[in-house]
Amino acid sequence: MQTQQINHKNFYFPPGGILIWIIIFLELLTFGIALIAMLYYGNQDVEGFNSSRLKLNTTYGMLNTLFLLTSGYFMAVSVTALKKGDKRTFNKLLFYTVLFGVLFLCLKSLEYYEKLSEGIGIAYNTFFTFYWMLTLFHVIHVVVGLVILTSVYFGIRKETSNTTIEDVEASAAFWHMCDLIWIMLFPVIYLIF
Amino acid sequence: MQKIATTTWIILIILTISSALIFKLDGSYVTIIILILSALKFLGISFQFMEMKKAHMAWKTIIISFIIVFVMGQLLIIA
Repeated sequence: MQTQQINHKNFYFPPGGILIWIIIFLELLTFGIALIAMLYYGNQDVEGFNSSRLKLNTTYGMLNTLFLLTSGYFMAVSVTALKKGDKRTFNKLLFYTVLFGVLFLCLKSLEYYEKLSEGIGIAYNTFFTFYWMLTLFHVIHVVVGLVILTSVYFGIRKETSNTTIEDVEASAAFWHMCDLIWIMLFPVIYLIF
Repeated sequence: MQKIATTTWIILIILTISSALIFKLDGSYVTIIILILSALKFLGISFQFMEMKKAHMAWKTIIISFIIVFVMGQLLIIA
């Protein structure tokens, strides 16, 4: 694996690279604007949004937050292990990162299954239109993140791996972005209304 | 780094469980507390897990400004 010292204090080299941070801010802006729009519509129909929110299971939302935070923790310590040159620990911790990401998807699938069984789809009402759009868009990011991490997991095991530490940091930054988006979604969708 | 990450993770877990418990209370302040807790979690992840604490001051300013504007925007709409 290629390792090089990067001065993150340089504006053009934030941890993970400037390109991934441009993507992260665009994503955060997109979700942020959508959540503000959801609150705006919620203000127009407080009772409707409140009764819809009560149809959601807050425990699922909290557990999913805990899964993503734990996954993010393993991601952070795995990058530290790799910087120390400990590829074995990195791989082990990256496996736990992916595992908790998969647990998130399993619980989300269960939640979706329950909602669809109750006949609550994307066209049910305005609250659930936002719910499905925002959470599904987030799930797509989680799936993409898991594909990237799985690719890193197998790529780094190769003897002739040309993966750089910046590649791994960029993958980690993308994964943490999924945490950030969920941290923004969780209170608005599951708690506020 | 690992000790700081572990401490951050524990704090994030406590903040998440606190949010889920606080929302069961009644009162207009509950929403404000939940949004502030989520902003703290956002900053914990970005500065500790994503290592933005090591980045140029401009990046730190952008991420802090974003979460302040986002939370203020939410509070303005709810108020």
